[in-house]
Amino acid sequence: MSALKSSSGPVAAPWTCPFCPLLCDSFGVAAEDGSWVLTGSACGRARAGLSHFSAAVAPTAQPHIDGVACDVEAAIAAAARLLAASRQPLFGGLGTDVAGARALYALACRTGAVCDPAGGAALFHGLRALQDRGAFTTTLAEVRTRADLIVCVGSLPSERYPEFLRRCGVGEGGAVQVVLLQPMSAASADPAAEGVELVRFDGDLFDTVAMLAACVAGRAVGDAAGSLGALAARLHAARYAVLAYEPAQLPPQGALIIEAINRVVATLNQRSRAAALPLGGGDGASTVNAVFTWLSGLPLRTRAAPTGLEHEPLRFDANRLLADRAVDALLWIASFGTEPPPPIIDLPRIVLGHPRFAAAVQGAATVFIPVSTPGIGSAGHLFRTDGSVLMPLRALRGDDGLPTVANVLKRLTRALQGANA
Amino acid sequence: MTTTLRLRGGRVIDPTNGVDAELRDVVVRDGRIVTLPPGEAATEEIDISGCIVMAGGIDMHTHIGGGKVNLARLLMPELQRAGPNPIALPSNPLELASCGGCTPGTLATGYRYVEMGYTAAFEPAMMACNARHTHMEMGDTPILDHGAYVMLGNDELFLEMLSRGADFQQIRDYVGWTINAAKAMGVKVVNPGGISAFKFNQRKLDVDENHVHWQVTPRQVVHTLAKALRELGVPHPLHIHGSNLGVAGNIQSTLETINALEGLPAHLTHVQFHAYGTEGPKKFSSAALQLAEAVNAHPNVSIDVGQIMFGQTVTASGDTMRQHAQSGLASPHKWIGADIECEAGCGVVPFRYRDQNFVNALQWAIGLEIFLLVNDPWRVVLTTDHPNGGPFTSYPHLIRLLTDRSFRAEQLAKLHPDVAANAALNSITRELSFYEIAIMTRAAPARLLGLTDRGHLGVGAAADISVYREDADREAMFTTPAYVFKDGTLVARAGRITAVSVGGTHFVAPDYDRGIETMLRKHHAAQGGVNFDQLAIGHDELCGCCNGGRLLPASCFETTS
Repeated sequence: MSALKSSSGPVAAPWTCPFCPLLCDSFGVAAEDGSWVLTGSACGRARAGLSHFSAAVAPTAQPHIDGVACDVEAAIAAAARLLAASRQPLFGGLGTDVAGARALYALACRTGAVCDPAGGAALFHGLRALQDRGAFTTTLAEVRTRADLIVCVGSLPSERYPEFLRRCGVGEGGAVQVVLLQPMSAASADPAAEGVELVRFDGDLFDTVAMLAACVAGRAVGDAAGSLGALAARLHAARYAVLAYEPAQLPPQGALIIEAINRVVATLNQRSRAAALPLGGGDGASTVNAVFTWLSGLPLRTRAAPTGLEHEPLRFDANRLLADRAVDALLWIASFGTEPPPPIIDLPRIVLGHPRFAAAVQGAATVFIPVSTPGIGSAGHLFRTDGSVLMPLRALRGDDGLPTVANVLKRLTRALQGANA
Repeated sequence: MTTTLRLRGGRVIDPTNGVDAELRDVVVRDGRIVTLPPGEAATEEIDISGCIVMAGGIDMHTHIGGGKVNLARLLMPELQRAGPNPIALPSNPLELASCGGCTPGTLATGYRYVEMGYTAAFEPAMMACNARHTHMEMGDTPILDHGAYVMLGNDELFLEMLSRGADFQQIRDYVGWTINAAKAMGVKVVNPGGISAFKFNQRKLDVDENHVHWQVTPRQVVHTLAKALRELGVPHPLHIHGSNLGVAGNIQSTLETINALEGLPAHLTHVQFHAYGTEGPKKFSSAALQLAEAVNAHPNVSIDVGQIMFGQTVTASGDTMRQHAQSGLASPHKWIGADIECEAGCGVVPFRYRDQNFVNALQWAIGLEIFLLVNDPWRVVLTTDHPNGGPFTSYPHLIRLLTDRSFRAEQLAKLHPDVAANAALNSITRELSFYEIAIMTRAAPARLLGLTDRGHLGVGAAADISVYREDADREAMFTTPAYVFKDGTLVARAGRITAVSVGGTHFVAPDYDRGIETMLRKHHAAQGGVNFDQLAIGHDELCGCCNGGRLLPASCFETTS
């Protein structure tokens, strides 16, 4: 068989878990008593995600308009009417994959919508720090192979990413040390995980990272540094130090904390080796951001306004726009089933979502269209937390009978063009 | 009824077929160049008298998609404004909003290349772990055909195999497997061994210096990869971004890299950044002549230039070691670096080239000197290493500099006085002809990539055609071709997009022994971040990534081994 032929053949298909941005692909899933059961991992997050799906029966959810069941075609037509009547729509949630994001961009251009994901605040902590000062980051395979010191800043990621330590190679027999750095002001320290050392500092997280940066830079801080001086020495001595952090766990103005973390990394890299590892961007947030960025040149919180492409990292915060009633319609996308439910607001709402969100979209001026979940009912692609690897998602079941987000959005864009014509 | 289009009365420049400015018609049917049977009339005719006709341009080294390109966009939102105002929306209803400049969106990349008469572009630095992302971005670059070179030579597996003296056949099969898995058009090595060495805290790596951990040299890396590609029959030879980019005196590394090939074919990319001497009071001088002499003496070597253009840009490179070293020069002062997946890295450093800065002015002169001192245009490709030397939209300006001696002299006179007075460029009188420009921008790239039906206008070739109205101002002429056809469809007219299609994906599929997969599976289980069975991209998935564009596998050449 020629290489060309063999390279075109179907490949074996491991399952990629779509429910967190680690996108683990070394576990199995089996159908048992009508449910999907995870094998090879005790990950609570994957189990919770799988619990929203039946292994026995295809979903029976139907689209509805104002709470009344209808077919997809009618729902798309109604959604097009709502968008056509809107002067400033907001596209929120953004729980979808690359294909959904590609289709969404065309619709966003047509409607002048502002786009901001459910995790917008966290996404923009990282993005604003990047836009201001840059960063030096690493990826999971590097951490697994190279890291001998991992400092988790502010929170222990395993609380929300149960496979985090395993993906970092902790417990594989290497000599990697894991430190959780927390301010005394944290309401309570995360329960100590096995093998994780706790270092605390008397101050809030802003003080903590600022003081650590000062220590690492060798500035005279005297006794004020407490245990941070020792931690700084360990960071300098490490062969490859990793500073892991979770943007979603940071307080308002969290970009300043990320900036300090990046400063620590930059200082270390003058003499030794270090890198940052952000954990976040799940439920489609970083994926949609990446796709919009490559298509348009600008990230999310951008709109195609009459004056041009406006990027407003602060003004185009979805929560702020909704609170200020600065938008007059909402398109909410939540295809994974693990996203926050669509906000209950007094505006026309179109929801493309997992069937479980149907109940949250009732009443006047609402359209609900159940959609397939990438990695469960359809194939797709999502970016891993480190941004370098775009993981393929395979469907667990052949066809769940639900349309993909991309399919609905393409039809919606066509319907809208028809409505405007 | 099949439509037949006749472009009547133009002067055809088609170096692949030895045609130089001959008055002849070009006839197109079903997306191909054809001859019109006697007595048959075309169904459509366009009068292009007063125009020059060339095949569509092919950019074989331009950073148009993938991880570091998107990081550059994220880093530089301030480039996407027009002063205090946002960038205006497109007036053309066929276009979706997309910013331009040095960090254009993929949509704008496609529109602007095509308006300029280019019909194919190749991303030179695709990481295997980022291949899906790269193909996605290229698939979202409208109209242009595209392909990418996958990066090897800094992946820990390759270095480990080389270090333990693994059987060459094994290394060759691993290279073959990687090309197939990533759906690449070739292989690029960036700072051979150096990106990995930086992860082990090594800050410099000369051609004969050992990687501090693996104890192998860039010379070994380059030679092994070049030999592997030769044995696999991959048409595009090893694409080399050499050691010590940007360092004064790096001409030595470049010459040693050429020697390391021992006659094996290779393409040295953005050589302008690798042709520096240490003479003069500032210990920084042009080594263009030395480089050109070496290229002239080594027919196994081709180059692209990586010309710099003055103004703001962003340098996006896989060379973490060198980008970290240069990050202090970032303007504005911010940069992004990353160690990536035990196979590569990246560094994104914004940069402003200033005409009154001695070093920048000399870099500009060095690039032009290289273009003008290498004898054989078939081994020189016109690039700015977009966006590293400047955006691809500056190509028409570059063409004017190369074809118009007095314009070049005017520009040189405006630069830093030491450069204006002393550059060897002052004494070079050569003006490139349209024929030579056509070689450097379409015919040579097609030949160097092994594209037999692109880059020329012979019967049977794809009807990718650019029609330029003759103008004494070469910059204006090459900025706005009168007509651009992609596979026979009119896609741009007088600088305005007239049809938006999805481009095709060029890749190669060399044969290799699949026994290598056992070892690769074991390696990825022990050290990787992704399940081995996820790594290879199949044709169906590639098609999805590329937005349904055509798959264009190029043939490998016959190998004797």
